[in-house]
Amino acid sequence: MWENRCKVAVSGVGYSQATRTAETPLATHALQAVKAAVEDSGLKMSDIDGLATYPELPARGHAQVDGISIVSVNCMMAMLKLPNLAWHIQTGTVNIGGAVQQAVNALLAGVCKYAVVWRAMHNPRGTYQNLPGTYAQGADQFTAPYGFGGPGQGMAVAYTRWLEKHNQNREKMATLAVTQRRHGLKNPRAYFKVPLTREEYLSSRMVAYPFCLYDCDIPVQGAVAIVLTTADRARDLKPRPAYLAGYGQRLAFEVAGRIASLSSYMEGGRSSAQLTWQRSGFTPKDVDVAQIYDGFSASVIYGLESYGFCKEGEALDFIQNGRIELDGKLPLNTFGGSLSTGRIHGLWHIIEGVLQASGRAGERQVKDVNVSFVGASAPIVEGTTFIFVKEPY
Amino acid sequence: MTMSDWSKVTRPIPVPNEWTKPFWEAAKQGVLALQRCQGCGHFQHPPYATCVNCMAIDLKFEPVSGKGAIYAYTIMYHTGDKRFAAAVPYASIIVELDDAPGALLAGNLLEAPYTEAKVGRRVEVVFQPLNDDITLPQFRLAHAAPHS
Repeated sequence: MWENRCKVAVSGVGYSQATRTAETPLATHALQAVKAAVEDSGLKMSDIDGLATYPELPARGHAQVDGISIVSVNCMMAMLKLPNLAWHIQTGTVNIGGAVQQAVNALLAGVCKYAVVWRAMHNPRGTYQNLPGTYAQGADQFTAPYGFGGPGQGMAVAYTRWLEKHNQNREKMATLAVTQRRHGLKNPRAYFKVPLTREEYLSSRMVAYPFCLYDCDIPVQGAVAIVLTTADRARDLKPRPAYLAGYGQRLAFEVAGRIASLSSYMEGGRSSAQLTWQRSGFTPKDVDVAQIYDGFSASVIYGLESYGFCKEGEALDFIQNGRIELDGKLPLNTFGGSLSTGRIHGLWHIIEGVLQASGRAGERQVKDVNVSFVGASAPIVEGTTFIFVKEPY
Repeated sequence: MTMSDWSKVTRPIPVPNEWTKPFWEAAKQGVLALQRCQGCGHFQHPPYATCVNCMAIDLKFEPVSGKGAIYAYTIMYHTGDKRFAAAVPYASIIVELDDAPGALLAGNLLEAPYTEAKVGRRVEVVFQPLNDDITLPQFRLAHAAPHS
């Protein structure tokens, strides 16, 4: 087991008011979320001495403007002017989970005391994946001429591979979309406020087969944030902390432009989870509640299988018969997932993992949670996984 | 009618670079050539600086037969990419070639209804000139093998 097991905890969490369109600059969303997280922890802004984010805009073909479409560490520092800033980073791999893990490392190294991590997501005007142009450069030269655009199609090809290799039926995915939406209705901050029926899922328009509209998270403008600190300090703060029992991260090193290899899609998740199980001393059977990244619904399949919750080819059967309900054997994406909150990436999954571990999930709180699992990024290519616990045992 | 109408599609034109130039030069001659490690014999696609199997740097492009099977596919309905909007719904496929297991090529399923795209279905390469310099490898369903 990891020598640093349960030595770092997450304390406060914060959110901006997410909107469908970019009505206010992204920087104000990030600031709102960070201030709320610091306030939730009971700290003063001047206590914060560490900053981390993963600032990428996943929408291609749009300008990256700091404060408008991304929020860098520099942008945050310009707003906060932290007098005691001692450590900061913005990561370039494995999405926001990687930034959270860097903050954990910085706290363990003793180079900062209270670190804030935020993820701010912009919804650009017009088509999300905006790929105009006469030419296809770099890795795109082998995909764009055939109409492969954004990540949706890349995920979709792996999903057909999975469905037909395992003789499965995409209609079973309705259970995930409908159940997560029901969870989301118990999350006052979710974007969608009305139930989704099985019939609505099954009759919704195709986007990129096998993905229909409700297999895809809706782009929004918003931000979320968390405060991390050492376990000793976290105990003295306002909310009950969630202790980090273990984490893992792993890229399945892949050549740019090579798409659809289901095995490499699984590899990032498998190896990241393996590190997390080893470090925490837990196994999938010990998990009381799970948050698994669901930007596209099929990510949950790859997550459940590559993390070891079920065997490959079985995930769509695994989620049936009430298993993922709040009172089921494995309550899943209890905040509604990205399919309910909108596209804020994996930090919201981490927040929900924290809230469930610390007993702060309100109306959607799962009973008797001790072990709370989070797969914060699509296990395609990159995996970041976490286990939070209520008691540091 | 389930045939995709490609006539109004403007495909982005590949820009060869130092890794990919031999691929496009071969395609222009109607030959599918993939990068192969001269050490371990591994074929790979897209081209890369090293052999992703054994780390060797001695790589050459070698012709392959162009016969294979659909590894995966998607049917595109979204019209966000205006260049391809006229063709929806259309099949974008990923092909694994018999000669080059593990090397996955993208393409469209041509000359057949998009509903014919299925994992495992046999396909063969065809060549689609985009302009004087660039010819695009594409795929169609393989013709049934003659009875022997």
